[in-house]
Amino acid sequence: MIEINGITKTYGEKVAVDDLTTTIRPGVVTGFLGPNGAGKTTTMRLIVGLDRPTAGTVRVGGHSYAHSAAPLAEVGVLLDAKAVDKGRSARNHLLAVGATVGIGKARVEEVLAMVGLTEVAHKPAGGFSLGMGQRLGIAVALLADPAVLILDEPVNGLDIDGIQWVRALLTDFAVEGRTILLSSHLMSEMQLVADHLLVIGQGRLLADTSMSDFIHHTSHGEAVEVTSPDAGALMPLLAADGVVITSTDASRFTATGVSSDVVGDLAAVHGLRLHNLTTVTASLEEAYLELTRDKVEYVGGSRLAMAA
Amino acid sequence: MTNQTNPTVHSAFDDRAHAERPAADSPAVMSAALTRTRVATHKQTFARGLVSEWIKLRSVKSTWIGAGAFGVVLVGFAALGALLTSSAAGAGPQMTDPLSTVLMGANLAVLVLGALGALAGAREFGSRMITTTTVAVPRRWKVVVAKATVLTAVILPVSLIGVFGAYALGMPILGAHGATTVALTDPGVLTSLVGMAGYLTAIALIGFGLGMLFRGTTGAIAGIIGGVLILPMLLGSLLPDSWDVVLQFLPTSAASAFTVVAGSGGMVLSAAAGVVVLVGWVLAAVGGAGVSYVRRDV
Ligand SMILES: Nc1ncnc2c1ncn2[C@@H]1O[C@H](COP(=O)(O)OP(=O)(O)OP(=O)(O)O)[C@@H](O)[C@H]1O
Ligand SMILES: [Mg+2]
Repeated sequence: MIEINGITKTYGEKVAVDDLTTTIRPGVVTGFLGPNGAGKTTTMRLIVGLDRPTAGTVRVGGHSYAHSAAPLAEVGVLLDAKAVDKGRSARNHLLAVGATVGIGKARVEEVLAMVGLTEVAHKPAGGFSLGMGQRLGIAVALLADPAVLILDEPVNGLDIDGIQWVRALLTDFAVEGRTILLSSHLMSEMQLVADHLLVIGQGRLLADTSMSDFIHHTSHGEAVEVTSPDAGALMPLLAADGVVITSTDASRFTATGVSSDVVGDLAAVHGLRLHNLTTVTASLEEAYLELTRDKVEYVGGSRLAMAA
Repeated sequence: MTNQTNPTVHSAFDDRAHAERPAADSPAVMSAALTRTRVATHKQTFARGLVSEWIKLRSVKSTWIGAGAFGVVLVGFAALGALLTSSAAGAGPQMTDPLSTVLMGANLAVLVLGALGALAGAREFGSRMITTTTVAVPRRWKVVVAKATVLTAVILPVSLIGVFGAYALGMPILGAHGATTVALTDPGVLTSLVGMAGYLTAIALIGFGLGMLFRGTTGAIAGIIGGVLILPMLLGSLLPDSWDVVLQFLPTSAASAFTVVAGSGGMVLSAAAGVVVLVGWVLAAVGGAGVSYVRRDV
């Protein structure tokens, strides 16, 4: 359990985290979303006391992290996988970190095997690829088998096997009743693994809700994708209050506010051909984009317009 | 662990990925649930912090390269100094005392140790490893004290070996050429040698403090070179003689109170006072580094 109580962090003029209050509960994977510069990493740094909050308090497992008896066993952290000494081998890196809570060779070898680094463990970590470095960062977080896991973009740079492994691991950890806070910009990945969501923008809390509530309340629910040579005739028949139709080309359109049953029945009644009729569930990506549309810190050149 | 050995770096990841909620007896899969009960973690203590810092210090090449360079400089200059002095000795009375001759490399070697200390203090800030360290040991003073302790435990023996090595190599050379020599049993000689090792260690610790304070080696090494070499010379020539009282409190001058056998008349500090002043500098540097590390975000 992580209890965040009114934390604010300012760097000079810049307010990185703005009066954030939330509780990250055990037993579920909590996804942490927000645009670049929203304050996710800063919040995580505040939780483990790397940064002092300008105001507010954070408690991990009932006390301030600085008062942990066995810090690594309480909280496993992956903040910046590149934060390793380039000249030290992966094995020595883990041995040095583990030694602070009496973890020795056996567990280090075990964790190296878990993340698949055994064969390169003797090599300097500075020479590791992005994904190998990320695996080492994950190994540090898992080293003392912590009750709380805080992972900042853990799948960044991981290959597909690595991503699936992390997904299975997080699910297992949640089932075991541990607390997991996970940030990622990969919405599809987040949708697969997170049960609960925290969304921040410009340092402020925008949403603190379950995944399913977030998707259904924020977006316009399900959509129906239709492919039909008679699309031109079918579309006017569907027109009704609350139905929004977006046509992509002459034979294809997407409709929201209407079910696939209704579309299929209407087509049958009017003798119109259907080549494809699919219900697409709203994605986290859409819901997220909708929520954060005005909150993005750094907007790229252009933004894909959303089919509303 | 796993039965199948996969030559790629993915082995265990693969096993986990393809596992659909493994049966408890499935041999090919290491479940996070299984590992949990087997991890014996203990309280974070100062002693464990020491072990961690020792592993860190010994597992980077620069520590041993620096220590080696120090030894080569100190012992090499001892031989060189002894040879040069002996060849000049025939001409007339010896100008310098034998101990200064064999420890002639100390002026350079001290900079090597200062740089080694600076690196020990700054290194983790450069690599950002300090974030991992601070998460592992959130009581930050423990980190500073453990690092300083481990550095001392490495540098002091290395300094002693270097200083006594220089003595052991240099004196016989002087003796063989008929120049004046001193024995370890002569008054003040042993104290001077041990004192020199202590001085070298102190400068390494001051370098460590500056490295950690500035969070970088550049400023710290500049500080060491400035404070040890340039400042004493510069101030000594610029300031009027009445200021000599103040100059005695610079680290190098304070150390000369206990590293030189035959004092030059102008010495102000006693050997004991010299030790106190030098220790004061070390405490100031390491303490300053600690206060800064404890107060600032990492
Ligand atoms: N040490 C610092 N000094 C000054 N500003 C900082 C510092 N750390 C973070 N910031 C600023 O605080 C804001 C929040 O940054 P943070 O890294 O927490 O964002 P984030 O949500 O993790 O972004 P991303 O998705 O890009 O990782 C940013 O505007 C950043 O520039
Ligand atoms: Mg970030």
